[in-house]
Amino acid sequence: MTPEQAARSARMLLTGVIGSDTHIVGNRVLSLALEKAGYRVASLGALTPAREFIEGAIETAADAILVSSLYGQGELDCRGFRDLCVEAGIDEILLYVGGNLVVGKQPWPDVERRFLDMGFDRAFPPGTRPEDVIAALDRDFAARAAGARIALP
Amino acid sequence: MAVALQRKSQPELSGGPIPWDEFAILRRENLTRWPTGAGVDIDEAVAYHKLMPAHKSLASAMRLAAQKRMCLTQPRGGFGTFAMQIELMQALEAEGLADIVPTTTDSYTRNERFGEAAKGMAESETVGRSMLNGFPIVNAGVPGCRKLVEASNRPNIVLSGTAMPRLTAEIALAAGYTGYLGSGIAYTVSYTKELSIAEGIRNYQYLDRLTALYAEKGVELHRRQPGFLTGTNIPPSIAIVTCILDTLLAAAQGVRNYGLELGQCLHLVQDAAAIAACGELCQEYLRKFGHPDVFTPVTSLHWMGAWPHDEAQCSALIAHGGTLAAVGGAVSVTTKSTHEAIGIPTPKANAEALRMTRMAIYMARGIRLDGLPEYEREKALIAREVRPIVDRVLDIGDGDPAVGAIRAFESGVLDIPWSPNRQVKSRVMPARDAEGYIRILDPGDVPIPAEVMEIHHEALRRRAERERMPFDHSLAIASVYEMSETLERLLPFQIEPDRCLGN
Repeated sequence: MTPEQAARSARMLLTGVIGSDTHIVGNRVLSLALEKAGYRVASLGALTPAREFIEGAIETAADAILVSSLYGQGELDCRGFRDLCVEAGIDEILLYVGGNLVVGKQPWPDVERRFLDMGFDRAFPPGTRPEDVIAALDRDFAARAAGARIALP
Repeated sequence: MAVALQRKSQPELSGGPIPWDEFAILRRENLTRWPTGAGVDIDEAVAYHKLMPAHKSLASAMRLAAQKRMCLTQPRGGFGTFAMQIELMQALEAEGLADIVPTTTDSYTRNERFGEAAKGMAESETVGRSMLNGFPIVNAGVPGCRKLVEASNRPNIVLSGTAMPRLTAEIALAAGYTGYLGSGIAYTVSYTKELSIAEGIRNYQYLDRLTALYAEKGVELHRRQPGFLTGTNIPPSIAIVTCILDTLLAAAQGVRNYGLELGQCLHLVQDAAAIAACGELCQEYLRKFGHPDVFTPVTSLHWMGAWPHDEAQCSALIAHGGTLAAVGGAVSVTTKSTHEAIGIPTPKANAEALRMTRMAIYMARGIRLDGLPEYEREKALIAREVRPIVDRVLDIGDGDPAVGAIRAFESGVLDIPWSPNRQVKSRVMPARDAEGYIRILDPGDVPIPAEVMEIHHEALRRRAERERMPFDHSLAIASVYEMSETLERLLPFQIEPDRCLGN
């Protein structure tokens, strides 16, 4: 195990596909890649309601929740996600969201803004590769260890 | 809110026809689950269907297209409001020349969350853009859906990826839709996580029995099986096994016009072989079960896996997909668009993809691969995989395809790659070989003969060696992304300056 992997093995990540969405392939590939990189991963799979993410995060003492949405209705499903975390007492948990988050071709900066305003720490555009997510997690966990909320761009 | 059906008694599942008296009770219960269900009157609906012009019937259109060796085009498409949906349907017909006009339902409707669908529809109206990824048929009700049916001059099909179609189907068919996609085995293993395969089969037995009821009253409808499954590198044999089993289940309920969909592998020879083998093998098993009179046209689907972001690359996938469908002899092709990588296309992009496909079909007219050695070999290989699996399923089901399917998923004899359903082992793992064929890397517990697996492994080993990759599941994962990679990775400059120096 590399020192990098050892550091990652202390972190628990929760993954899943939110709402009424069945697109599981990318999420499963991501979960496998996160595990291979050294992170501990709990996978909720497809068709997962928002509250099950929160319950799962508490149950597994997750350090981050990674929400996938591919079918366009993510905007409806993800609303109030951070509020649910706050209500459940996991206010500070790292929240990522990624995929095809809205219906149709809309400018990414607008979409990203909408999801950051909902309280996600990062939003990832369509076509994001697992390496990009792992790099962001490494930087954000390092920043958190140093007292920041997330790493600066 | 999810609306569950309270079934008074749950008879043991079988592949046999639902008795008409029992079906009448099931229908009455089903139609009370949402207020718009009360608007369904089957005799009024039958009269409406009979008054529609014949060219609006998808059942007739598919029969004519098969007879004349045509390849019809059909897009997908659904938005969250009447105005947007009607505009889309009219654009697909007028600008895209779509032979078949679709209505895709939104994912709340597919999961019978009609309350949430209603909110999504209302919010779409308010904000002026669709918040739903399809049209909420149940909320619209019979009169609402008739506005959509009457918006174009083409046959209408419902596309609703769900294992729970009963109320949506009642309303859509009563409204004049003449085609309905979906089946008990394929959609339960592709679109649900917790639902039992038995329940999914029951739900589609209902829809198939409803189709038979319309037929009894003189209206033939087109039902269709979604053999594309999870849409990711599905080997033809795995798809065709589900086509055969779902076809047997539909035929037992009385369906006689049943389409079979296959997602494209993106290999000219493999796709043509799959299309031919699918039709022939389904007919073989239909005859064995005493149903010689079921019409089973095959529909070819544009690539169902991950798409590239580059619209030029997408255009190649779209046009090539038209060629694959037409050369393979598919009776229709279902299209995607250059927006596929980022989600749901605009009506304009959707219509353009239809035109690209149509031009490719025009140019491919008359070309067939029959007699080509690679084609004949591939077709025979598919049959060598399909028959042992189907025969084992029927064997462990004591001859009943429904019972057999359920037991076979439990034991892994039936298996689907990348399924979201917990009852599916998803151990079977496909990958693309060095020549571009989709092969089986790991059969899991699917009874594919050893000598056939050796052919698959040999082809995949060649790829692993050529690309210096390990011969393991990383081949399968690389194959998931392959078609979405940039051209700079897939096919970089081929003539580097230093390679020409020696000439």
